[in-house]
Amino acid sequence: MTHAAADVSRWRSVWRQLPLLVALVFLWVFLWDQVTVLTVVTGVLLAIGVTRVLYLPPVLLSGRFNVWRGLLLGLRMMWDVTIASLQVAVLAIDPRWKPMNSIIAVQLLTRSDLVTTLTAEAISVVPGTVVVDIDRERGLLYLHALGTRTQADIDRVRRDVLGTEERIVLAIGTRGQAASVRAARRERRAAHDHSKGVRA
Amino acid sequence: MIASLAAFAAAALVMPLLARWLGRRVFAVIALLPAAVFVLLLTWLPGVLAGTPVVEIVPWIPALDISLSFRLDALALLLALIVTGVGALVLLYCVHYFADDEPALGRFAGLLLAFAGVMFGLVTADDVFILFTFWEATSVLSYLLIGHYTGRKESRGAALQALTVTTFGGLAMLVGLVILAVAGGTTSLSELIADPVTGAAGEWAIALVLLGAISKSALVPFHFWLPAAMAAPTPVSAYLHAAAMVKAGVYLVARLAPGYAELEVWHPIVIGLGALTMLVGGWRALRQYDIKLLLAYGTVSQLGFLVMVTGFGTRDAALAGVALLLAHALFKAALFLVVGIVDHAAGTRDWRKLSGVGRRMPVIATIAFIAAASMAGVPPLIGFVAKEAVFTAFLDAVAAGDSWAWVALIGAVAGSVLTVAYTVRFIWGAFFSKTDVADTPLHAESPAIAVAPGLLAAASVVSTFAIPFIEPLLASYADELPGGHDYHLALWHGLEPALALSAVVFALGALLVWGRQRVARLQASVAPVLDSARGYLGIVSVVDRVAASITTAIQARGLPGYLAIIMTVFIGGLGAASIMNTSWPAGIRLFDYPAQPFLALVMAIAAVAAATVRQRMTAVLLVSVTGYGLVLLFGMSGAPDLALTQALVETIVLVVFVLVLRRLPKQIAQRNPPVHKLARGIIGALAGLVMAVLGLVALGARIQPTIAGGLPALALEAHGKNIVNVMLVDIRAWDTLGEISVLVAVATGVASLIFVSGRTGGAPRLDAVDEGVNRRDRLRPVPEPAWSIRAPRTSLADTAGESDAAGEAAETRQTWLLAGRTISPRNRSILIEVLVRLLFHPAIIVSVFLLFVGHNAPGGGFAGGLLAGLALVARYLAGGRYELGEAAPVDAGRLLGTGLLLAAGTAAGSLLFGGPVFESAWFETEVPLLGTISIGTSTLFDIGVYLVVVGLVLDILRSLGGEVDRQEERQTADEGDGAFTTGDGEHGDEHGGTPGEGAEFADGDEYSAGARLPGDGARQPSVERTEEARS
Repeated sequence: MTHAAADVSRWRSVWRQLPLLVALVFLWVFLWDQVTVLTVVTGVLLAIGVTRVLYLPPVLLSGRFNVWRGLLLGLRMMWDVTIASLQVAVLAIDPRWKPMNSIIAVQLLTRSDLVTTLTAEAISVVPGTVVVDIDRERGLLYLHALGTRTQADIDRVRRDVLGTEERIVLAIGTRGQAASVRAARRERRAAHDHSKGVRA
Repeated sequence: MIASLAAFAAAALVMPLLARWLGRRVFAVIALLPAAVFVLLLTWLPGVLAGTPVVEIVPWIPALDISLSFRLDALALLLALIVTGVGALVLLYCVHYFADDEPALGRFAGLLLAFAGVMFGLVTADDVFILFTFWEATSVLSYLLIGHYTGRKESRGAALQALTVTTFGGLAMLVGLVILAVAGGTTSLSELIADPVTGAAGEWAIALVLLGAISKSALVPFHFWLPAAMAAPTPVSAYLHAAAMVKAGVYLVARLAPGYAELEVWHPIVIGLGALTMLVGGWRALRQYDIKLLLAYGTVSQLGFLVMVTGFGTRDAALAGVALLLAHALFKAALFLVVGIVDHAAGTRDWRKLSGVGRRMPVIATIAFIAAASMAGVPPLIGFVAKEAVFTAFLDAVAAGDSWAWVALIGAVAGSVLTVAYTVRFIWGAFFSKTDVADTPLHAESPAIAVAPGLLAAASVVSTFAIPFIEPLLASYADELPGGHDYHLALWHGLEPALALSAVVFALGALLVWGRQRVARLQASVAPVLDSARGYLGIVSVVDRVAASITTAIQARGLPGYLAIIMTVFIGGLGAASIMNTSWPAGIRLFDYPAQPFLALVMAIAAVAAATVRQRMTAVLLVSVTGYGLVLLFGMSGAPDLALTQALVETIVLVVFVLVLRRLPKQIAQRNPPVHKLARGIIGALAGLVMAVLGLVALGARIQPTIAGGLPALALEAHGKNIVNVMLVDIRAWDTLGEISVLVAVATGVASLIFVSGRTGGAPRLDAVDEGVNRRDRLRPVPEPAWSIRAPRTSLADTAGESDAAGEAAETRQTWLLAGRTISPRNRSILIEVLVRLLFHPAIIVSVFLLFVGHNAPGGGFAGGLLAGLALVARYLAGGRYELGEAAPVDAGRLLGTGLLLAAGTAAGSLLFGGPVFESAWFETEVPLLGTISIGTSTLFDIGVYLVVVGLVLDILRSLGGEVDRQEERQTADEGDGAFTTGDGEHGDEHGGTPGEGAEFADGDEYSAGARLPGDGARQPSVERTEEARS
């Protein structure tokens, strides 16, 4: 999935950068802890001034944000962190545990820098897994995972990573990315049902 | 006069800005200012001639009886006219002398204009201490102007030499002036001369003041600085070293002569040294090949002549002296300007290489000829008139039986003979065709450049015939001295002894020219007497050597040695004091909250470990553990300000450490095993112990009740709720100002240690981005070609041959940071790039918040500046030195300077309103809709602190980060094993194959096929497995 940066019209690109600007204003108002005309006006001026004077290439967000999916993503993250913390804590104090860790390469579904980065961050936040390198060109994540004794463990980690990526794409990815992720899910579900059906 | 001075000061300050958009034409604009003052002075002429000097007095330091008093009498008016008139012409000349791309043009214009103003102040000042202030200001400005070409060693050396010599004389003069002011009971120069100080005090005082005058006017034995100062641009030589600054000494002699010419010390110094200088200067001038140096030695000679004549002490001599002063200013400035033109046109000043210049530059040659004739005293020019008057005055004095008059007369005649000889040498050398030298190739010069010297040369002619109009002004000064009033300046006095002397001078001069080869042989055989330049260098080198040997003796043991000495003194002094202490605290509370001992234990372990580990990086990280532990202790003890600042400082320090450690061996003491381990351990342990005991004692040593209770009220008075911040920016603002000055010094020190050559300018910037991102496109994302994701860019300029089509056809992505692609993909982390891109602007917003909230809540300029600095650190770490240049495209020095100016400005600002330094003021207003806005001077002060801190971080990153990167890259490139080089294009030339390699990299295919990344093979299977899993 490439960011076709050049084919976005000017106003559309401004529109898609707006969330970051608004976020800066929110940050300012939040810091002052009061919503007054003064804080909002100075916030807007400051946000525009800072982004103009200290110029950085604009970030094109997807222009899409699914609130429900975002909520799910957040809840799932909290759950993952809690469970993984407990698991790592148990491993840390378990005298019988012999470390058996591995570096795993995961092929991501998308090539978007933003999704890749967020996925990498989300994985690093969860204890037990740390991203050690990213192959930007091929969309590969290399991560270090604790306690991967069997191939099944490795597959589980890989599934978790891809699941996290899917949730992120569904929450903030572009329409195209989200559609392809949904299609991939349907396919997998169908395959799953199919295999069930065969067994039955 | 004060208004004129203020105008000079203000104009000089805005000059750098003005020069930026006017280029060299700025000189034409600023020439108007001295020209306007010149006209203004002319309007005062009738009043001054009528005997009523213009006086302006503004009280300044009443406690010392010093006031800004200015007095324009005949002598001051003459000098002021010369200073402003020649000044205006020299500035006009600069328009054509410099090119628009001359470096530091604005600085030069500002300094030259400031010099004109200072010189004007010097000749008009009446208070001796104001006079001294201007005197020293001319030394400093002359230092800066001589050193205009900061990149040239001889230029800097000459500037320093001139400064050292003239400041030495200036300090002696200050002592003399203090004696005069104390003994005379007044600081007014005119009163001191009307009612002279006599006796031993007067003798000593005048001797010291004359020491200042002769050092400034380059008399023997201080004459050597003037020829060296010829390293300056020609306008500076013409103005400072011919017309204005060196005349300051002559002015002082002329000023003091009416009151003090009868003192015992006067004649030996003024006439003895004057005559000697005239001969030494003329003698040395005859040996020069550089026509500018020839003129410089000629100037030395003439200055001796001037001092001798003006200080002679009779009315006629004084009249002749000021006439000579005027004549010299006109012809010498013109000659220097001509030398500048010849130098520009021919590219050399060595007359052995110049030939046929006069034939092809007839106008310039004519101007030079007139001016040189005036110098030699050829009729009918002003130089002749003045010299006639000198001879007459000396002959009269000889007739009256004055023994010093003999010295003066012989000196003047012999010196004039030498003057004639070196004048011929100059004209012949610079303009005539030499039979054995081919015609020098000449550049065409704009004819307008001849205007200024032409006017000066014309003035040399015109003034002779206008002598009846000029003489009243000169005589008005000369009449202050004893002697008959019947002699008048004139071109023709009839056949009298002076005319005969002139004829003798010309005849002897011609003889010298005729026998020039014999003279040259004689000069070569005589050892250079009175080469005091060598004496000066000797003194300087002795001082240097003594300093070096002391340094070697004291500092032989390196860093551990220093620390051991410092710590031992600390233990011995404070340890002994704390043992003898009687006020031990009554009880010891072990801890305030349970986390305290735990944190202390962690910090203690980290400290001990830091001293014992063998890896540098580990040691640094362990030291950081103690720092962050302190952060927690501060935070838990209810000091959020301290905790915040400490956390930010700790982080910055860690980054700086890491930046420095890149260049050091990984292991500590790899080459030299540590010595005296036990002793060091004991010193360290004792230092810690003493510190702990001190803390204990200090806490129990309170005698007076605490004043902490009053602080909240005081803070509110300063419109703030955060006591710590109010302390920093208001109550103890002096301390903070001192601290940020130290920061500026540190930043400058670090940068100048790392940057071997000049450190001006910002971090390096991307050259390609300016084309890719123009203003219109700033709102659109910047595409990043796929090949830059795959392969390193071999140089920044390799986009040059690339067509747009190729760029678009490539698989593109969005660029996150501006310079990310300058880093090799192996060292690049998209993760960090994206995060830095997303967090940079929020970090800046938070830093601004910290800056403004500081007065009422934890934060402040220091914390805000540190956070902004950390944001820059992040940019540098993610994108390298080019990213830093794009993030902060400003000169770090500018940030530091602006910050310091803002802080010091708020401190001094209240002085303008009659308040004490650092008196705070608030501006509070009710804006409809927005609410109350309150801005205090302390906020401005805090902004200054913010800028200084950001500037410091930027300077450190630029030097310890970017510059060290560059040096490392250069080193790798020089060693020849660097497969690719980023950075300066010159590397491409050193390695013949680099451009070809660049093309290969840019193509991408060869890269992935031929040279695989080391880990590539190992990764491949797992990728395949992943794909299997997916399918």
